Amino acid sequence: MKTLRLSNFGIRGFIGESLTPETVIEFASAFAAYLGGGRVAVGRDTRASSPMLHAAALSSLLAAGCETLDLGVCPTPLIQWAVPRLKAAGALAISGGHHPAGWNALLLLGPDGGPLEPAAGEQALDLYHAGVALRRGAAEIGAARTVEGLVEEYLEALERRVDGAAIRAGRFRVVADPVGGAGCAALPTWARRFGVDLVAVNGEPSTYLARDPEPRPRTARPISSILRALGAHAGFVFSSDMGRCSLVTEAGEPLSEEYTFALVADHVLRRSRGVVVTNVCTSRMIDDLAARRDAPLVKTAVGQAYVVSALRDERAILGGEGSGSAALGSFALAFDGFLAMTLILESLALDGAPLSRRVRELPRYEIVKRSVACNPGEGYRALDRLRERWERESAGAFDETDGLRMDYPDGWVHVRASRTEPRVRVISEARERAAAEARAEAAIRAMELDL
Amino acid sequence: MQETLKVGISGVRGVVGASMTPRAAASFARAFGAFVGRGPVIVGRDTRPSGRMLERAVVAGLLSVGCRPRLAGIAPTPSLLMAVAAEGARGGIAITASHNPAEWNALKFIDRDGLFLSPARTEELLDLYHQGDFPPVGEGELQRETPIEGVVDRHFRRVLSYVDAAKIRARRFRVAADLCNGVGALHTESFLREGLGCEVVAVHAAPTGLFEREPEPVPRNLGALSRAVIEHRCDIGFAQDPDGDRLAIVDERGRPIGEDFTLAFAVRQVLAAHERGPVVINLSTSRTVEETARAAGCPVTRTKIGEIHVAGAMARSGAAVGGESNGGVIVPAVHPCRDSYVAMALALELLVATGRRVSELRAEFPGYAVAREKIPLSATDSAAALRRLRRRYADRRPLLLDGVFVDFGDGWALARRSNTEPVLRIEAEARAPEAAAARLAEFRAAALES
Repeated sequence: MKTLRLSNFGIRGFIGESLTPETVIEFASAFAAYLGGGRVAVGRDTRASSPMLHAAALSSLLAAGCETLDLGVCPTPLIQWAVPRLKAAGALAISGGHHPAGWNALLLLGPDGGPLEPAAGEQALDLYHAGVALRRGAAEIGAARTVEGLVEEYLEALERRVDGAAIRAGRFRVVADPVGGAGCAALPTWARRFGVDLVAVNGEPSTYLARDPEPRPRTARPISSILRALGAHAGFVFSSDMGRCSLVTEAGEPLSEEYTFALVADHVLRRSRGVVVTNVCTSRMIDDLAARRDAPLVKTAVGQAYVVSALRDERAILGGEGSGSAALGSFALAFDGFLAMTLILESLALDGAPLSRRVRELPRYEIVKRSVACNPGEGYRALDRLRERWERESAGAFDETDGLRMDYPDGWVHVRASRTEPRVRVISEARERAAAEARAEAAIRAMELDL
Repeated sequence: MQETLKVGISGVRGVVGASMTPRAAASFARAFGAFVGRGPVIVGRDTRPSGRMLERAVVAGLLSVGCRPRLAGIAPTPSLLMAVAAEGARGGIAITASHNPAEWNALKFIDRDGLFLSPARTEELLDLYHQGDFPPVGEGELQRETPIEGVVDRHFRRVLSYVDAAKIRARRFRVAADLCNGVGALHTESFLREGLGCEVVAVHAAPTGLFEREPEPVPRNLGALSRAVIEHRCDIGFAQDPDGDRLAIVDERGRPIGEDFTLAFAVRQVLAAHERGPVVINLSTSRTVEETARAAGCPVTRTKIGEIHVAGAMARSGAAVGGESNGGVIVPAVHPCRDSYVAMALALELLVATGRRVSELRAEFPGYAVAREKIPLSATDSAAALRRLRRRYADRRPLLLDGVFVDFGDGWALARRSNTEPVLRIEAEARAPEAAAARLAEFRAAALES
């Protein structure tokens, strides 16, 4: 079941099976046709298949007569930040992100650097399905130009959004694991700018993944084991595109990835007011934090494209998801691991508390995440069985923004079919762990799925 | 008609933006990679603006089936052929439409022996392509592309060590070179200047791939070169095609001597100064070349048209020299491929050896004149025309090796379908230009009568 996944903001597939150079060529051609040519940026991560997909995408863009800006190996959030600065009509980001080895993806970015608007993405997808490609004659073939020096500019822009002096004065020691991915080269530059004593784990660019690239407590285990011995203030575990991160406290405790956005939101909302955007299955910590600061909270479907789209439309100050991602409306329309890490260090610097205490000050919930393997057809039938059950039990008082979500006084359960993997995901959060687990189990039973 | 991709022994050709697309290039590269097997594959190109676009697609296609692309960048086609053999690569892909107009581009497939794929191997590759049997490899088996240096230097060193470069350098020739905005624009001046001690006047010398003259080095396209030869009082003028395999020569008075004489000069010089042995030419090569070889006591074989046919026959007969009537000189001791650089070096060496001017040398060769014409015709219409010719000249027992070749005693006429364009090529040779033109007209009329 490693089939090609098409969505209106990109394609994702497995190398050696569904994701071939031809697929990327056709998809990039349709994207160029949607843009009508113009200036387009392209960047990639370090995975073994990324140079191949990069070559295929570049070929398509040149054939379409696009003025192609080649960013080479580049963190996806940095590509996103750069698109408006480079005055590009759009960009292609090639990265496996948080997906396991063997997977890779092509993300379509619009002129503001955010994932293509869902409506715009639909148009591009229609063009792909109709086999429409933009191709110019020999005399109008595009030219490719390499763009360098973006990291320094990016970090300068980042520093304008935070108190750099305070962070430098904090003289932090940080353990960071960019999983040999797109962030490796920029990480030491980031550390120098913010006066951080950096201990990098998996810090050399690598074509292979040294660990599961999804930021999670279990993937943070290697750095959590050395963090205390090093006397570090915090640890950060990134996805290979630098879009997401999860944390390890100074005590060596790996945190649920839900805490990344919660810590960022707590910090940002203490100092500024405005709308916050998150998805329907992010921890209720966010609801509580927003309520505490009187900040309007907007909930969207799951995925960067939806959250960032609302961030743009609602002129929100902050967006993020429980997967370990955060975006600052005034900085870039991008889930950005560098940004999250910098904001969290800023909060430690300004508030003087160690990370573990900041975590204890957050609203306390227990969250249970389960996923059950099943093919997509089976998954949707299972979801329908749950929908029927909940309709009988609650008279339809549940949310269907993305998948199904039922709220309870002390928590909630959310069930959805993954768009990227043949799995149904169940997230259950409650004040008490036992309640959260019981509700997750009940939902899985109602769907008649075997664990 | 121009929309179609032409697939044949000269590789895969098409019009950029119409049939020659990133997808076509990537898929053919995948099929080729699967065909030659995992390992290094040399990739190079000419200067056409579509070259980099197609190179990226070819690289992606090769990577997807586990090959290791080694990038030579912009390099003469003969340099690429040599590199495949010298580097022990599994094969190579030259991205060039050679002398075809600028809107065309092509992938030419090189086998591990450094020759273009033979017709039989080409058939096998196409079969593999049409069956779609080129499964992609998993992430763990993917290789990386790497640059390869020194491909052109190796080629030039071989040419310069074949001829007596010291003697040529000592003459300090003044040479005009029309580089056709192609690979020559990057490499030829240094070859002539540093390698052969020439003073060089370069024409069409920007390596842009935006051809300032028609890319085929035939007399009607050499006006600028002729003017440069006259204005700068050059000893000789050389005109290359965009990928540096073919050469035309202009004499010291600015007159193109005809591409047949590029080969005639080379044959004469190789047999006189380097090696005596069999000579192989194609069907449409002038009888001048044949008589030059016979005068030196060497046997001559004619083959079907197409570099691979000539090179194959040369290997079988242990030929000393050979080539094609379009200015393609092949010296197996350097490499069994058409090479404008070896042609330039031999022409200059002949001038040194004889002490004569180009026009004087030209006059020493037996006088024949060739007339040539391209008639735009689809493949089916061409086939019908060839059937008419076969019937019309049945009593003269035409040679049917490649199209219809008729021997008239004092010359010949040939009609055949092009390998590279949807045209019927008609050629006729006779003792004098008027007679050649008359013979061509007669042949043409017979081909097209309805």
